[in-house]
Amino acid sequence: MQATQVRQEEQARQAHITRRSFVQLAAAAGAVTALSTGVAASFKKQPQAWADTAPERRVYTSSCHSCIKACPCRIYVEDGVVVKIEGHPLGPTNQGSMCLKGLNEIHAVYSPRRVLYPLKRVGTRGAENASWERISWDDALELAGSKIAEAIEKYGTYAFITSTGGGGLYTGMEANSANLALGSPNSFEPGGPQCWMPRYEVSRYMYGGASQSMADEDVVEPFKGLSQFEAAKGLVNETRCLVLWGAQPSVSQTAESGRGMADLRARGVKTVVIDPNLSPDAAKATLWLRIRPGSDGAMMLTWFRYIFENELYDEEFVKYWTNLPFIIDPDTNLPFFAEDVFADYVRSTPEDTPAYVCFDAQTNSLQPFEYSAALDAKVDPEVFWSGEVNGKDAFTAGQLYQQTANPWTLEAAEEVCWVPAALIEAGIRLYARGDLPSGKEDADWKPDPNSYVAGIVHGVATDMQQNSSQAVLGAVGLDMIMGYINKPGVTLTQNYNAVFSLPPGTPVTRPVTMFNNFGGALCEIYGLGYVVGATREANEARIASLPSPPPMVPSFPGSQGMLYIMNQMWLDRLGMKNYKGSNGWVFCHIPSALQAITTGVPYKPRVLYDMSGNKLAMIGNAAGWHEAFNELDFIIGSHPIMTSFHVEHVDLMLPLEEWVEYPDISTINSLRQMNYNFGRIPVIHLGETVSSSVAPTKIVNAASAKLNEYMESGEQIVLGAIGAVTGTNSEDSVAAEESGNSNGASVLHDCDQSRFTLHFPLGIGVMNGEQEDSTEAQALTDYYATQCDAEIGSLHFSELFENYDEWREKMDAGVANDKGWCEVPPDLFWQYDQHLQMATDGLPAGFGTESRKCEVYCSLLVKMAADGFPYYYPRTQETVDASIGLEIKAIQPEYRFAGGYSPICQHIEPSESPLETYPGYNAEYPLVLTSGRVNYFHHGTARHLPFARELYPAPEVRMHPATAANYGLEHLDWVEVSSVRGSTRGQVVLNQGMDERVIWMERFWFPEAFDDSQKTKTGGWRECNVNLLTKGTAPFNEVFGSMTYRGFAVKIAKSTKPDNIWVEPEEFRPFMPSQTNVYTPDIGTTIGSEVTPMITFTDWDPNASAAGH
Amino acid sequence: MARRTLVIDLDRCSGCDSCIVACKFENNIDLGNYWCRVVGVGPTGEYPNTEMYWLPVNCQQCENSPCIGVCPTGASYRDPDNNVVLIDKDKCIGCQYCIYACPYGVRQYNVAQGVVEKCTLCNHLTSQSDGNENWEDSYDPYHAVPPCVHNCSCKARYFGDLDDPDSAASKAVREAGGLDSKKVHSLDDRSDAKPSTLYILSPEIATWKGLAQ
Repeated sequence: MQATQVRQEEQARQAHITRRSFVQLAAAAGAVTALSTGVAASFKKQPQAWADTAPERRVYTSSCHSCIKACPCRIYVEDGVVVKIEGHPLGPTNQGSMCLKGLNEIHAVYSPRRVLYPLKRVGTRGAENASWERISWDDALELAGSKIAEAIEKYGTYAFITSTGGGGLYTGMEANSANLALGSPNSFEPGGPQCWMPRYEVSRYMYGGASQSMADEDVVEPFKGLSQFEAAKGLVNETRCLVLWGAQPSVSQTAESGRGMADLRARGVKTVVIDPNLSPDAAKATLWLRIRPGSDGAMMLTWFRYIFENELYDEEFVKYWTNLPFIIDPDTNLPFFAEDVFADYVRSTPEDTPAYVCFDAQTNSLQPFEYSAALDAKVDPEVFWSGEVNGKDAFTAGQLYQQTANPWTLEAAEEVCWVPAALIEAGIRLYARGDLPSGKEDADWKPDPNSYVAGIVHGVATDMQQNSSQAVLGAVGLDMIMGYINKPGVTLTQNYNAVFSLPPGTPVTRPVTMFNNFGGALCEIYGLGYVVGATREANEARIASLPSPPPMVPSFPGSQGMLYIMNQMWLDRLGMKNYKGSNGWVFCHIPSALQAITTGVPYKPRVLYDMSGNKLAMIGNAAGWHEAFNELDFIIGSHPIMTSFHVEHVDLMLPLEEWVEYPDISTINSLRQMNYNFGRIPVIHLGETVSSSVAPTKIVNAASAKLNEYMESGEQIVLGAIGAVTGTNSEDSVAAEESGNSNGASVLHDCDQSRFTLHFPLGIGVMNGEQEDSTEAQALTDYYATQCDAEIGSLHFSELFENYDEWREKMDAGVANDKGWCEVPPDLFWQYDQHLQMATDGLPAGFGTESRKCEVYCSLLVKMAADGFPYYYPRTQETVDASIGLEIKAIQPEYRFAGGYSPICQHIEPSESPLETYPGYNAEYPLVLTSGRVNYFHHGTARHLPFARELYPAPEVRMHPATAANYGLEHLDWVEVSSVRGSTRGQVVLNQGMDERVIWMERFWFPEAFDDSQKTKTGGWRECNVNLLTKGTAPFNEVFGSMTYRGFAVKIAKSTKPDNIWVEPEEFRPFMPSQTNVYTPDIGTTIGSEVTPMITFTDWDPNASAAGH
Repeated sequence: MARRTLVIDLDRCSGCDSCIVACKFENNIDLGNYWCRVVGVGPTGEYPNTEMYWLPVNCQQCENSPCIGVCPTGASYRDPDNNVVLIDKDKCIGCQYCIYACPYGVRQYNVAQGVVEKCTLCNHLTSQSDGNENWEDSYDPYHAVPPCVHNCSCKARYFGDLDDPDSAASKAVREAGGLDSKKVHSLDDRSDAKPSTLYILSPEIATWKGLAQ
C-alpha cells in the first residue's frame, strides 16, 4: 500500500473519533488526531456593513443563566455581536470560572434553531408534519387570549393549566401564579417534587431555615472567604468536613460549587461522598460510599443508630434545642403539652413558647418542659425514655427514633446499601468526630473535638425516590443531633436575605415561618396559611384583619374574597388530598394532573400554557404525557427553541430571549451568588423575542381582558369546573384505579360563589411578571434598590444607578464594567447562633417552629396529613387516605404513621426492589437504574448546541465491564434499556466504578430528529429518553407525591444506533450559527453569513415595546 | 530560553471539558477539531480501591519538539521572541509529517484550510504575559492567560514561563513541591521530546499512569 493511501485510510478512521472513543484510542495508540471537514464558522468575521471599520468592543458585567447558578460573568460585544463570554473574577464562588454551558451561550443565542417570531402551527399536531406560520404578536395574543377565555367561559376557570421547568429559561413564580391569576389551581414542573421541593419545604418544617441543597444556593457557608477578594475582607472559611449525599457539584454546578469544592479539597477539607456513581467529587473524596440507589433511608438510619449508640451527638443541643426529649402522645403522634398532663400547670413563658413534657433525670419524674436557654432549664430531660403518661404507653421522640434506627446495624446496612460496614463506620466517624480512616492520615488534620463541625450537602438524588420526604428528615435530622447548625463551617444556616429577613437594627423577635410559595410569599400577600411560630390568636387576628367586603378592585390581594378564592383553589388543586406538601411550591401533583386530563376526574384541564423546556424529555412517564397532551384542546408554548414537546404538541409558539438578551428579576436564586448580586443585563436582542417573565404576563392579560369583557356583557364566569360533581374523588374512576396514577388524591370541593367578585387577573396577577422588557428592566433596578436598601448601608444599586436607562447608559459606556453588582455587607450576611440571640422578652429567639426547637421529630408533618396544616389555614383539607404508608407497614409491622406522614426518617425499600426477599422483586429486570446530570447540559437544554453535542452526542449508559460482558456489550455499543414501562436506547460506557448490579443513564432528547434532512421526522424524545423508563405511578412520596426517577428495575440488551441521531462532529453542522434560521429563513439571524444579522441592540429603545408590535 | 507552557493540577481537574469549549470559541475551531482534549484515565481498580483522574492534553511545548524537525517548509517553528512552538499556516503545505512526528497526538489537520493546527497557548493574547492574571483586564498583554486557563471550572490550569520563577506556572509547580516532587509529572517521553507541560497529581487522589488507562 502506498503511504498516501495508508494516511487517507487513517484519516477516514480518525474522522469517526469522538471524545469518548479518544479515551480508548489514546490509551491504545498514545497518539490520536481527528479530522475535520468544512468551513469554520467565524464569529469574529464581521457582517458586511461593519467590515471596513475596527470593531468597537464593549464589555458588560452580567450573570450567566445557562443553569441556575448565576455565575457572574463578562460579556464582550463587538459591533453589536457577542464575541466572548468569560467568568467574572469577582464572583465570590466561581472566581472567574465559567463552564462550557455558559460559554456555549454564544451558540445558543445565534442558533439557527432559535424561534425569533411568534409561530402558529399549520395543520395537525405531531412532529412528522410539523409546519409553522409566522404571525404578529397582536395576532398571537388574540389567539392565546381567545382560546383560554373560551375554555374558561365554557368549562370554568379550572380548564386552564400551566407548566414550566425542564431547564434553561426560568419562569419561577410566573408559572405557578399565571394559573392563579386566571382562577386555576393547577401548575406543574417536572422538577418540583422531584427536585429541591422536598428539601426546601421539609427544612422549613424542621427549623424554618435554608435547606442542605448546594445546587440551589442554600448551602453557601462552606464557600465563605474562598475567593482572594473575600479573604481580603477578613472572612475566614471554617469548613472542615462535608458529606455530599447524592450531590455532584463538580458536574451539576461545575464552575460554581464545583470550583468551590476543588478549592475546599485543596485546603484540606475532608469529604464523604455518598453516591452510586463515581462522580469527580467521589473520585477525589476522602471516602466514597457507593450506595445502592434507593437505599438512602437505610443508610441514614444507620448513621442515627451509630451516633446514638456511641453517644456521638451533641448532648446539650439535643436536650435543649431539639424536640427529641418531648414525650409523644401515642394516640395523636404529637407531643404532649404540659397542660395535657399537669392539670394545674400554668406556663411562665410567653404565649408563643409552648411548654411540653419530658422525663426529668434530676427528679426522676415527668415534668413540664418549659422553653428557656439551656443554662436556665429547670429540667434535665431524658432523650430516650418510655413509660406511662395519662394512662398510655408513651415515649420520647428520641426513643421512637432510636427504635426506628435500631435494626440498622452497620452489618444490616452493608447488606441493604451494598457498602462495606467498615466504610460506613469510617464515614460516620469522620462526619461526627473528625476521625480519619487508616490510610488517609494527614499531619495537618487536627480537629478540636470540642469545636469540630461538619455538614451534610444533600443533593437531588433522594428527591427522585419514594422516600423524598423521609430522606430530608434524616439528612437534616443528623446535622441537628450533631448540633451542626447556625455555626461557621456547617451547612444548615440562615444567612441574611434582604428580601425575607427583617431589616438590620430591628429588635430581635422570635422567628416565624410562613408557607405557600418561596419564603411564604403568598401567605404574605393573600393571608393564606398558618404562620408557624405565631400564636393561634395572632393567626386568627391576622385573618380577621383582612378587609371585607373587598375594596374597590374586586379580586384585591389581601381581602377576604381573594383569600377565599385562594383557599378554594388550594382545596381543589389536583392531587392535594394526599400530597399536601406540594402546596409549598403551589404545584399540583403531576400524575394526578395527567389523570385529570385523560379521565376528566375530578375535572378536566383543557388549555395548557407551558413556559419552558422539553416536557417530553424531562418528565417521568413521558409516553403517558404524550397521550395527555394530545387530549388538550389548545397548547401555548414559550421557549427560545423548539423541543420535542413543541414540535409534537404546541399550537402556538412564542419566542423567548436567551439570557444575554433579557433583564432578569424572575427568581432570586438565579441572580445571586453568596451575598452578591451581579444582575443580568441585556446586551443584544434578536427578532421579536421577549423575556420569560414578559410572555406569561402578556398572555394572562390578554385572556383577562376577554374574560372581563364576558362578565361585563352579563355572562357568568365560574371559579371552578362547570359540570363536574363536587366531592368527586378520583378513586371513583375505574381508569384511575387501573392506572394507579393519582392514588385517589384529588377532590373537587363545593365553592360558595357569593363569597367573592371575580375580576381578572385575580389578585396580583403574574408574580414577577412584566408587561414589557422595558418595565422589567426598571423593575430589576428597583429590585436591586430594595434588596440592597440604603438602610443596610451597602453599595446598592440605587446608589449606582437611578434607573434602568442610567444603568444601560453606564454599561454601554463601559463605566460600569466590573462595578455593576450589589453586595449585602458581609457582617450582615454571615449570621450565626441566631437561635441564641435574646429576644425582646428576655428569652432566646429560638427557631421558627411551633416548639421553638429544631423539630428532628417533625410534628408539623403529622398535623399536615390530618388537615393540611399549615398550607390551608384558615380552612382545612381532608385527611390523607388511610392507604398512605401501608406499604411501609407491610414491611415494618410496628410502623405507626400509616394513614399519615412519617415525622422521622424511614427506609422505604423501592417498590421495584433488586432484593429478592422484597415484594417488588422481578427477576426479569435484574439491574437497578440510576441517573444524574452531565457537564454538557442543564436538564433539557443545549441539545442543539454543536460544541456540546460533538463532545456528548448520545446518552451514556454507564456500567461495570463485568455487567457489559454479561450481556455481550462492549464500550460504545448501543444498548436497549427497558423497564416494565418501556424501552429506550443509549451508548455503553464502561466504568469500573459502577456496582455490577447498577447502571446509570442520563436524560436525553435530540433536536436533529425533526431536522429537514430526516426522511421521517420524529419528536426525538422516544429514541434515547430515560423518562420512558421512569416510574410515574404510585406509590409516590407520601408528602410531595414525588415520582420515582431513580432506583427502579431495568434490563438491558444489545441494540443498534437509532438512525436519526447524529453522533459525528460534522453532523452537527446544521446547528452552527453560520446556518440560516430554520423558522424564518428569509430573515437574517446569522453571524458571518452574507445576511444582515437581526441584531437590534444598537437601536433598541428599552422604553419601546420589546415585542415590536 | 523561555519555556512557556501549561501546568495542570489533576488533583483539581474534574474533567468538565470547559477548557475544550473555551479554546474552540477563542480560536474559532471547527467541529471535530480540538486543540485541547480531556482524557478520563480510569476508573481503575475494584471498589473501594477505585481511582480515576482526568487528563487535559494539548500541545506539550516540547523542548526538543519533533514536529519542528520533520517540517519540510519551516511552517512549524518557535516564536523568536518567546520560544512558543507555533505553526505558520502560510508556509504549511498540509503534508502532515508533523502529525505523525508528534508523540502526543495534539496536532490536527484542518481540511478546509489544508493546514495543520494545534494549541498556540493563545500566543495572540499571551505572548508577553507572565500568567498572573489582571482581574480587571483579561486583555492586559503582560498578564493575559488563555481562556482555557481563565475559565477553568476548577482552577486546575496555570500558564506561564517555567524559566520565570514568578510566572503563574512556576508558582504552581513550586507549591506542589517542585519538579522533583512525587506529585509533579509529565507525559511519557519515549522519543526524548522533553515535553514542557507539567501535571500535578497526588498519590492520594490517584496513581499517575500518564495517558494510559
